[in-house]
Amino acid sequence: MTESTNKKKSNYLNPYLGGVLLGLVLLAANFIAGRGLGASGAIKSGVVTVVTAVNPHAGETSGFIKEYQGAHGGSPMKNWLVFEMLGVLVGGFLSGALAGRLKFKVEHSPKITSARRLIFALSGGILFGFGSQLGRGCTSGSALSGMAVLSLGGFVTMMAIFGTAFALAYFFRKNWI
Amino acid sequence: MGPLAVNEIISENTNFFLAFIIGIGFGFVLESSGFSSSRKLAGVFYGYDMVVLKVFFTGAITAMLGLLFFSLFGWVDLGLVYINPTYLTSAIIGGIIMGAGFIMGGYCPGTSFCGASIGKIDALLFIVGLFIGVAIFGAGYNWWDELYLAKFLGSPKVSESLGLSDGVFALILIVVALGMFWAAEWAEKKFPRQEY
Amino acid sequence: MKPRLVLAAFIIPLGLIIAAVPQNTTRPYKLSATELMDEVNTRTQFVTPETVADMIVKKDPTLLLIDVRSQDEFEKFSLPGAINIPLTDLLNDQYTELFDQDVKMNVFYSNSTLMANEAWMLTRQLGYENNYVLEGGLNYWFEAILNPQQPASTSADEEFARYDFRMSAGQALGGGGAAVQSTEGSAAPAAKPAIQAKPKKKKAAGGC
Repeated sequence: MTESTNKKKSNYLNPYLGGVLLGLVLLAANFIAGRGLGASGAIKSGVVTVVTAVNPHAGETSGFIKEYQGAHGGSPMKNWLVFEMLGVLVGGFLSGALAGRLKFKVEHSPKITSARRLIFALSGGILFGFGSQLGRGCTSGSALSGMAVLSLGGFVTMMAIFGTAFALAYFFRKNWI
Repeated sequence: MGPLAVNEIISENTNFFLAFIIGIGFGFVLESSGFSSSRKLAGVFYGYDMVVLKVFFTGAITAMLGLLFFSLFGWVDLGLVYINPTYLTSAIIGGIIMGAGFIMGGYCPGTSFCGASIGKIDALLFIVGLFIGVAIFGAGYNWWDELYLAKFLGSPKVSESLGLSDGVFALILIVVALGMFWAAEWAEKKFPRQEY
Repeated sequence: MKPRLVLAAFIIPLGLIIAAVPQNTTRPYKLSATELMDEVNTRTQFVTPETVADMIVKKDPTLLLIDVRSQDEFEKFSLPGAINIPLTDLLNDQYTELFDQDVKMNVFYSNSTLMANEAWMLTRQLGYENNYVLEGGLNYWFEAILNPQQPASTSADEEFARYDFRMSAGQALGGGGAAVQSTEGSAAPAAKPAIQAKPKKKKAAGGC
């Protein structure tokens, strides 16, 4: 069932079905673990692990590390989100493999070069990484999971993310269309 | 009954194992819906591919309804479920920065892992960028910790702030989302594009 | 049929239902019937009047006496430092923090043990610890503490020690017994039950 007129046949799930399945996964997470999904927290765990491996006393000088260690005892990598993100890698791989989408490539609009895309990917990542710490979550953790539990902070962050992206879309249009 | 881990019906290790399983489900659904492609993700901002909007809102509403019904049947104690705290200033500013990162990078952390898992090199670089960004935040923490901790409102729910019950708010959100879905279909017809 | 319409057909009715139905605020019972029976059989919920009297006299801050009778009866007579929560109001939300805690030792009392036991049953079934029943209630309190019976001369030493203690406690609490010089030092009353630390229900950490 095609919803728009000219597109190659794709084997992606119908987005509404995908949404329902995503909601069910999120529901399971809340029911089982009492928390929603997330992603940026796993990155934070990774950074803390590396920093404390290099300097075990980092917690004394860095408020960031101290705050993390205060909230999570034990090894920083032994964290719900880390296990979840490992699962994401496996799940994504499985889905891609089943659909024949496994391929090393740099995905970019034909109007720009690979290099340009990679530069923007890196810079976008840096900004997003920084922003996710300020916002206490990314689109998965704060926006999606936050909305499911009706958190005000989640809604605010979601609106800020999407609002800003819409507002800036015009300036980056060459990268995409 | 639920949440299982908080009521200690399952052990912490079981919880972590199930986190892994849940992650597999998460990654599988995201990738199957096309969230491993940065061009599809960015499409929502240009109208040519509204998959983000459809999946995101359908997912949030499904989970929201699920939780509310579970609570109604007594299967989960909503008082024990984590509700994201609201630090108003940093929520807004963080969101703005993330929005910029999103439109530039075309990914968010969760989807970048999906993209990386099927071999997208731009997704991989995005993840590298994430690490750098988090590290920068951590390194300079003392400069912005005031901002980070400002305007803490606790963990209010949107329905509370609006003075509505959870159920009524959910209904309103459903109606709004359906309106957006219809607008999305219209946008996709208007801005044709190819499948990525 | 278009997926959108299928979706809408499902979520609109669900949304209407969830908007219309009032929220579920019942608290689930945490203790099974057999668990509760075991506790009832071992009588762990009782504290003796001597223990309570001792705590009052020593001004032990962890004690909180809760009178579960009606307000009128409370105003006519109450134990020192007691507060009044009529049994009918016991499940009000405002008192949840009072019963679900691990700092104070709450002791329910009424005229006999009937109402106090009911209060204990309710709070125990909700899983709350550190709530107890005054053994014998006020009726026994009057008898034992405020007007203790002198034991017969053939009674065991403990009986005398207990009598001495009751006299001095009763004295301190406004009883009618004559002043007594205790010979061996007043016997310590039965050790008061230790306050059970509430296992902190770790709310799941999340976000990020």
